[in-house]
Amino acid sequence: MTETTDSFSPSTAMSQGTTMLDARHLTRRFGTRVAVDDVSFHVAYGETYGLLGPNGAGKTTSIRLVCGLLSAHGGEVTVAGMPVSTTEPKSKAQIGYVPQDVSLYPDLTARENLTFFGRLYRLSGSALRQRVDEVLELIDLSDRGNDRVESFSGGMKRRLNIGASLLHRPSLLVLDEPTVGVDPQSRHAILESIRTLGSAGLAVVYTTHYMEEAEKLCDRIGIIDHGHLIAEGTSRDLVSQVGKKDRITMSANGSLAAFAEACRSMPGIERVDIADSSVQLLTEDGRLRLAQVLEAASRTGTSVKSVEVDEPDLEAVFLHLTGTALRE
Amino acid sequence: MSAVLAIAIKDLRQRLRDRSAIVLGFVAPLAVAWLISMAFGSAASFHTNVAVVDLDRGQVAAGFTTFVKSPELAKLLTVTSAVNAEDAKAKVAKGDLGAAFVIPAGYSDAVTSGNNRPITVLTSVDASIAGQVARSLAQSFTAQIEAVQLSVNAAVSAGAPAASVGQLAAEAAALRLPEQTITQPAGTKTLTAINYYAPAMGIFFSFFAIGFGARGFFLERNGGTLDRLAAAPIGPGTILMGKSLATFVYGAASLSTVALFTSLIFGAYWGPPLAVIALIVALALTIVGMTALVITAARTERQSEGFASMLTFGLVLLGGNFIFVGGAPEMVRTLALFTPNGWALRALTDFSGGADWTAVTTPLIAILAFGLGTGVIAFALRRRVVNQ
Repeated sequence: MTETTDSFSPSTAMSQGTTMLDARHLTRRFGTRVAVDDVSFHVAYGETYGLLGPNGAGKTTSIRLVCGLLSAHGGEVTVAGMPVSTTEPKSKAQIGYVPQDVSLYPDLTARENLTFFGRLYRLSGSALRQRVDEVLELIDLSDRGNDRVESFSGGMKRRLNIGASLLHRPSLLVLDEPTVGVDPQSRHAILESIRTLGSAGLAVVYTTHYMEEAEKLCDRIGIIDHGHLIAEGTSRDLVSQVGKKDRITMSANGSLAAFAEACRSMPGIERVDIADSSVQLLTEDGRLRLAQVLEAASRTGTSVKSVEVDEPDLEAVFLHLTGTALRE
Repeated sequence: MSAVLAIAIKDLRQRLRDRSAIVLGFVAPLAVAWLISMAFGSAASFHTNVAVVDLDRGQVAAGFTTFVKSPELAKLLTVTSAVNAEDAKAKVAKGDLGAAFVIPAGYSDAVTSGNNRPITVLTSVDASIAGQVARSLAQSFTAQIEAVQLSVNAAVSAGAPAASVGQLAAEAAALRLPEQTITQPAGTKTLTAINYYAPAMGIFFSFFAIGFGARGFFLERNGGTLDRLAAAPIGPGTILMGKSLATFVYGAASLSTVALFTSLIFGAYWGPPLAVIALIVALALTIVGMTALVITAARTERQSEGFASMLTFGLVLLGGNFIFVGGAPEMVRTLALFTPNGWALRALTDFSGGADWTAVTTPLIAILAFGLGTGVIAFALRRRVVNQ
C-alpha cells in the first residue's frame, strides 16, 4: 500500500493520549458458554492496541461488541464519548471495521464496492468520487478500480477489504486478524499501512494470534484467553512478567513423560510442559542448562531430534500465564 | 442518496448481473407464455377432415351423409370419401382424417323396421377432439332417428293407420330435437389461453424473487458483508428496508414486463391498467413478505433455497397457475383462495370475462392480507435471524 498519511487522517481531530475507545466490563454469553467475561480495555488516539490470543479466546466476540455488531450481556462501550450498541448507529460513524474474512461483493467492481460502502456513511457526489479515488490510490488498486473483485488475488482483496473501512475517515480502526491467509509480501504491506494509520492519529484495535505481529505493531497488548483478559501492557511490560526466563523447546521421541519428570527435578527449571511430540522448559540461562537437560534425555531413553532456545517473548508470556502454547 | 436506496440499487445491480435472475424474471415467463399461445392459439378455429363410408346405400344412410355435409357443419368439417372401412381406418391412423363414419350395410332397412344398428366411428388418439366431435355427431343423428321412431310408434299406438307410417315418419323427421344446452358467456368476452396463462406464468416466475431475495441475504451473511452493513451508522431497519425495496422492485418489474410484452406481442388482455398495476404492486409486496418469512424460517442458504422452492411451487399448484381452477372441483377452487396468486388470477380472469375494475377490490384485500400475514410471522421470528 502507498503510505500517504493525509488520506488516513481521522474525521474527528483529537490529541494523542485522549481516550478514543473505552470498553468496560464487557460480558457476552452464547447459551451457557461465556465467550467474553468482564473484559475491560481502552485505546487512546494514535495508539495501536493488540488483542492477542489463540483461536476461540474471545477476540472476535470482543471486537464485535466494540463495533456494535453484538449486544453485550454486561458492560458498556464508548467511542469518542458516545455509547456503542446494536441500537446506536450514530457512534458507528467513528469506527472503521475490517472483518476477519474478505467482506466484499465479488460481482461488483472495486470502485462499485467502495462507492456503495461510502454511501452507507453518507458520502455522496463529487466528495465520494474523490474519496474513492484516494482510497484506491492508497491501496494500490487505482489501475484495477473498474475490475470485478472476483478477479482479484487474495492480497488485493485484503487491501480492498481494509480500504472499504477507511472511506469515511474513521477515528477508530478495528481490524480482526487481517493477515490470516495472506502471502508474506501482502502481509508486510498491510502491517506497514496499519503502522502508518496509527502514526496518522487513528486509534487502532488489532486482533491476532501471531505474537510477532502484536510485538512489532502494537503500542500495548492485551492477552485474552477463554474470554478473560489475563494481562495487559506494553510488550516489554508483559515479558518482564515472566522474569526474563528462557524457553527451551525440544522435539523428541521416547518417554516424554519420564523426561519431563526428570527435568522438573532439576534446580532452576521453573516449568515443564509437554505438547504433541515436544517438551517445553522455562528456565533462567537456558543455554547453560542445555547440557544438563540433554543428559537427562539420554538417561530417560529419550531421543532428541531438535533443540530450540528462545529468549523471553510474548509466546513465553502466554505460556507462563496460561500453561499452554499460544498456537495450540 | 439515502442508505435505503443505496442498498436497494446495489442489490438490483447484483441481481441484473446474475443471468439466472434475468432469465427467470423476464425471459422465461415471456417464452412460456409464447409457447402456450402457440399451443392453444388455434383452439378457437377447430377444423378437421372426416370421411363417410356408406356400405348401406339406403335412404337413411344418405340422410346421414347430407347431415354431416350440411352448411352448419361446413366450418367444422370437410367431408371426403373413402373406398371402404379399411381405407378409412388407414387414413385415420395416418392422420389424413380426424375421424371416419362407417354406415353398415342394411342400416336403412334396420332403422325403418325399428331395429337400430350402430354407426361405427373411427377415431385416433392423436386427434382426440376430432374423435369427440365425430362421436357427438353420430350420437346426435341416432338420437334424431330414435325420436322419429318414438313419434311414429306413439301415433300408431294411438290408432293411426299403418298405411300412414311413411308419411308420419317423414313429418317427424322434419322436426328437430329441442336444444339441450345453451352456452352464453356471463361477461362480454371469452377467456382465451393467452389471457389466462400470460398472467399465470408471469406470477409464477415473479415468485422466484423470493428465492433470489432469501439467497442474497444468506450470501451477505455468509460472506461477512452483512456485518459490514451492520457496522455502518444506519441501523437494522434501514438494511431491511433497502433489501425489501430491491425485492419489491424486482418482483414488480418482472410482472410489469410480462404484462406489457404479452399484451403488446401476444394480444393478451390483463384488465383495466390501474387495476392491473394495483394487483402487481400488491403481489410484489406479498413477495417481500414471503421473502422475509423464508429468511426467518431458514438457517442456511441451502435451506432458504429449499423453503423458497417449496413455497413457490406450493402456491402456484394450489393457486391454479398451471391448471385453470375454474374448471376444477370445489375443493381445489376453495384451496386457491388461500393463495395470493389464486386471488390475482381470479381477478384477472374476471377482467378477461369483461368485468370492470371493481372486480379487483376483494382480491386486492386478500393478497395484501396474505402479504401482511407473512410479514407479521417473519417479524415474530426475527430473533432467529438477528441473534443479538
